[in-house]
Amino acid sequence: MKSTAKLLRSEASWPPEEGEIISFRSASGSETTILKEVRWGLVWRDFILEDGRVIPEHRISGCPQPQVWRKINEVTDNEREECEERLLSMAGAGMDPRQRDQPFWAELNQYLAYTYLRYKQAEFKVGDTER
Amino acid sequence: MSRSDEETEEQQVWRVLSEAGLVEIRLDEFAKKIEDVKRIVIVRLRELLDFNTSIKERESAAYSLGTLKGLELKLLANAPKPPDPSEM
Repeated sequence: MKSTAKLLRSEASWPPEEGEIISFRSASGSETTILKEVRWGLVWRDFILEDGRVIPEHRISGCPQPQVWRKINEVTDNEREECEERLLSMAGAGMDPRQRDQPFWAELNQYLAYTYLRYKQAEFKVGDTER
Repeated sequence: MSRSDEETEEQQVWRVLSEAGLVEIRLDEFAKKIEDVKRIVIVRLRELLDFNTSIKERESAAYSLGTLKGLELKLLANAPKPPDPSEM
C-alpha cells in the first residue's frame, strides 16, 4: 500500500517547479497564481506564492495522498533553534499570527505541530515501554 | 488488526495532528493551541527529569517551553483590545 502511494507520487512529478501556475484553496475559494518557491518547514512543505503568501502543501491542487511529512528526528537542533528565534523575533516585532497564509501564521503552525509531535510521540514511547 | 496497523506512518501523522487541531490552526485558537502544546512539553519535561535522562534532551524541552511561553506572552500583549466601555 505504501509503496503504491510512493510510486504514484513519483509519477506525478510533484512538487511543481518555481514559476509554474498552481491552484490552491483559500478562504475565498479556489485561486490560481504563480509559485515562487517550495520550502520544507519543520513538518510539511510550504508553497510560497509571488505575493508572499505561504500555503501548506495539502491545500495545493494535485497534492498526492498520502502527503509527505518530515520525520521529527530529521529536524536538526540548529534548524529548530533558528525557527524558534524567527518566531520570537516576529512576535517581538508585533506581527500577528492571526493573519491567515502570512509567514508568521505559517511558521507558528508548523512549530506547534512539530513540538506537539515531538513530545507527544516521546510520551507514547514511554507508555509502550512501561506496559 | 488495529487502526494503527492499517495506517501508514504518514496517515498516522495526519490523524494525530488533525485530532489535535494543529494542521491549520484557526485564527482565534492560537493562544489555546500554544497552551495545549505547552502542557505536552511540561509533561515530557517532568518525565525527563524523573527518569534522569540526557541533559541535552532536557535542555531542549526546557528551551521549547521557554519559546512557547515567550510567544504566548507576546501574543497576549499584541492581541486586539476589546472596546473600552467608557468610550462607548
